[in-house]
Amino acid sequence: MKISFLFPGQGSQKPGMLTDLPAGDPVHKVIASANETLNESVYKHHSKEALYSTKSVQISMLTAGVGAFKSFEAAGVNPDFVAGHSVGAFGAAVAAGVIDYRDALKAVRFRGELMERIYPRGYGMGVVLGMDENMLKSIVRQYYEETNPVFISNKNAPDQITLSGALPGIQRILDVARQNGARCASFLNVSTPSHCPLLSSVSEELFEMLRDIPFYRPLIPYAGNRGARLLFDPVDIRQDLAESVSSAVQWHDASTILYENGTRLFIEMPSGNVLSRLAAKAFPEARVISVAENGFDDCVFIARRERLKS
Amino acid sequence: METMEQAVHQKRSWTTRLDAKKKRIDSVKGLVNGRVIPTDRIVEVMEKLIRPGDRVVLEGNNQKQASFLSGALAQTNPKNLFDLHMIMSSISRPEHLDLFERGIANKVDFAYAGPQSLRIAQMLEDGKLTMGEIHTYVELYGRLFVDLIPSVALVAADKADRQGNLYTGPNTEETPTLVEAAAFRDGIVIAQVNELADELPRVDIPGSWIDYIVVADEPYELEPLFTRDPRHITDIQILQAMMVIRGIYEKHEVQSLNHGIGYNTAAIELLLPTYGESLGLKGKICKHWALNPHPTLIPAIESGWVDSVHCFGGEVGMEKYVASRRDVFFTGRDGSLRSNRTLCQMAGQYAVDLFIGSTLQMDQDGNSSTVTRGRLAGYGGAPNMGHNPGGRRHSTPAWLNMMSSNDSLARGKKLVVQVVETFQAGNKPVFVESLDAIDVKKDTGLATAPVMIYGDDVTHIVTEEGIAYLYKTDSMEKRREAVAAVAGVTPVGLGHISKKTESLRREGLIALPEDLNIRRTDAKRSLLAAKSVEEIVQWSDGLYEPPAKFRSW
Repeated sequence: MKISFLFPGQGSQKPGMLTDLPAGDPVHKVIASANETLNESVYKHHSKEALYSTKSVQISMLTAGVGAFKSFEAAGVNPDFVAGHSVGAFGAAVAAGVIDYRDALKAVRFRGELMERIYPRGYGMGVVLGMDENMLKSIVRQYYEETNPVFISNKNAPDQITLSGALPGIQRILDVARQNGARCASFLNVSTPSHCPLLSSVSEELFEMLRDIPFYRPLIPYAGNRGARLLFDPVDIRQDLAESVSSAVQWHDASTILYENGTRLFIEMPSGNVLSRLAAKAFPEARVISVAENGFDDCVFIARRERLKS
Repeated sequence: METMEQAVHQKRSWTTRLDAKKKRIDSVKGLVNGRVIPTDRIVEVMEKLIRPGDRVVLEGNNQKQASFLSGALAQTNPKNLFDLHMIMSSISRPEHLDLFERGIANKVDFAYAGPQSLRIAQMLEDGKLTMGEIHTYVELYGRLFVDLIPSVALVAADKADRQGNLYTGPNTEETPTLVEAAAFRDGIVIAQVNELADELPRVDIPGSWIDYIVVADEPYELEPLFTRDPRHITDIQILQAMMVIRGIYEKHEVQSLNHGIGYNTAAIELLLPTYGESLGLKGKICKHWALNPHPTLIPAIESGWVDSVHCFGGEVGMEKYVASRRDVFFTGRDGSLRSNRTLCQMAGQYAVDLFIGSTLQMDQDGNSSTVTRGRLAGYGGAPNMGHNPGGRRHSTPAWLNMMSSNDSLARGKKLVVQVVETFQAGNKPVFVESLDAIDVKKDTGLATAPVMIYGDDVTHIVTEEGIAYLYKTDSMEKRREAVAAVAGVTPVGLGHISKKTESLRREGLIALPEDLNIRRTDAKRSLLAAKSVEEIVQWSDGLYEPPAKFRSW
């Protein structure tokens, strides 16, 4: 029986999230090193107002994920695999021992800044539920316009796929998808068209920045966002972290790879339960829990018990 | 002349395989105790008994897994052991593919890879493994004796004695076939056992076929794959089951059959003692089965419907029940079930009247497939049983009933029934214009599209709309009309003109529930002979012992 830790991305943030982290030394240390690296209090970034900023969301998500991971580690609960959705992948990379938390923090701050700077208005993302990828692909192909580009982005579940691009383009695809039997098709509350080629300049700059920080061989496999492969080579992981922001996140496949490799307990790091909901639906035979819903102590208890079984 | 013969004799040895085997056996003399490999030396011994480039058949069928041996093989050093050609009916455990990830093996021939279907697709794409073929079970077993003869067989059994005799209990499955292919061509056979015993309850495989045994550190993995909890059966599935019983089993007098593992066929099993009984069909239909010990068949057995059941494998929890129903099941002197996947697949292919199963996709011609793009899942038992063996000679009422011409050489046909709802979960249409299997063929470079059941073998399609009697159609056009008529509001069904429904009904090419005297409102869960696993246990007199995950009480 194997355990995977899942690190959520943007969308799972909530005001005050850093004060909800497990009590104790590991989190104190993470917060202290965040404050030192940022040269300001990290708590500035998790207020309701601050979380309107992509940069603050990314800083808060990474810090929450790593804080929880360090707490699990201190409690003797270690994952066999890690994966993170979008910015969550940086938390996963820290947990796999590939980069240091401080470097990851600088990287996501930079990533957030780059994302905020590009496409200040008129762009965003949408989500289509209850329609498979092939059908949605053919709709996008048919209705694509150069002036209002739109792309299929993240595949979160076989019937939960996001769109990224110009708002009028997304609107059009959402309408057509609805007419063709999608259960639900709506805009997401996001102002950056993430995970599509419109962000390739962000990837390029991020890649340059990541070249200057040390990457180590992973202690445990990391499932990549782009190819949904288990990655063992630090060079591959660096590339995945840089390119993910301008490529579709193959989340359904990435989590399927964890399952096929023997994961039967998924634990979602804070804050939120988006990834655990997806996993519970995709893998009815697996046990799926989240720090947000089950609480840290119960997660530790369940993980220890499952370890004893194997 | 004489000199020539001599020359030929000198040139060639006729015992190279045996000589090679002896060498390998000699190389582990110091590591083994007679036929017994010490548990903690298995990796070391495997590195000597198996050689690079060997064809290795590894027992992993869809229930029993030689999990200790597959785990040990994955721990061998790829510097010593590489380029293995793996032959497995089912690729289901993570380490099965770790062998390729680590470079121990490079080629695979298999039948089913459902639980590893994304990983194997990725590894094929990444060039980490070379694909042989995706087989049906019977084909793969057949090739073990023709052009895929194994150098080594790694199998699992319950118990062994020191002479190497094996006891497999109810889970004999494909072990005898795999062992036979290696043992009689001077291959090496290693069996993992749960325990070494002085005396065996019965001998399923004789010791002279086995080279080595090793006691596993934990019992082999066994999954209850054929247990369906009646609580999940829906009213629509009950309606379909009523249509099948009336419009197919009764109409054609189906006496021998195989069922798939879906909830819709579980519903049929649970309606025999209630709805079937009310139609007076007991003793007329469903007497002989090629089927695993499905718990949902218990009420029909207890009500006296079933004369015989031959099984591919066992089912966790059914051991005591089966042993207590010797008149129905194949059992050994020790009392427990004797299963055999090869023979039961063959029985299901050649000897039964009917196969009924479900699918995820079907096109306008009735071709069906369970593959999804980006996945390489292979097949279960359906393609062997879900096809009409053209060479069949013996006749039964159902088989003769499928004759659709008066030609003096006219033959009957196996009934191949696909039962589906027009949409699957997630709003995905089952009836589609083009199967994903065709994309999978293109994406992966397979020689043929992985179609599970070919449309020309399908005699009946059952949906919530009604039954299409495809065997009666005399042209492709009629066939497509009949498929479309039961395809609901899917892309295939939308092409159907409702005016045609009437003429198709008149011609008997389709039947709606009312044509079979079935009222949709009668299709209720209250018709099920057992509505929960607990009620199945009651039917069995407490002999069925469901695994923990099926216990809700």
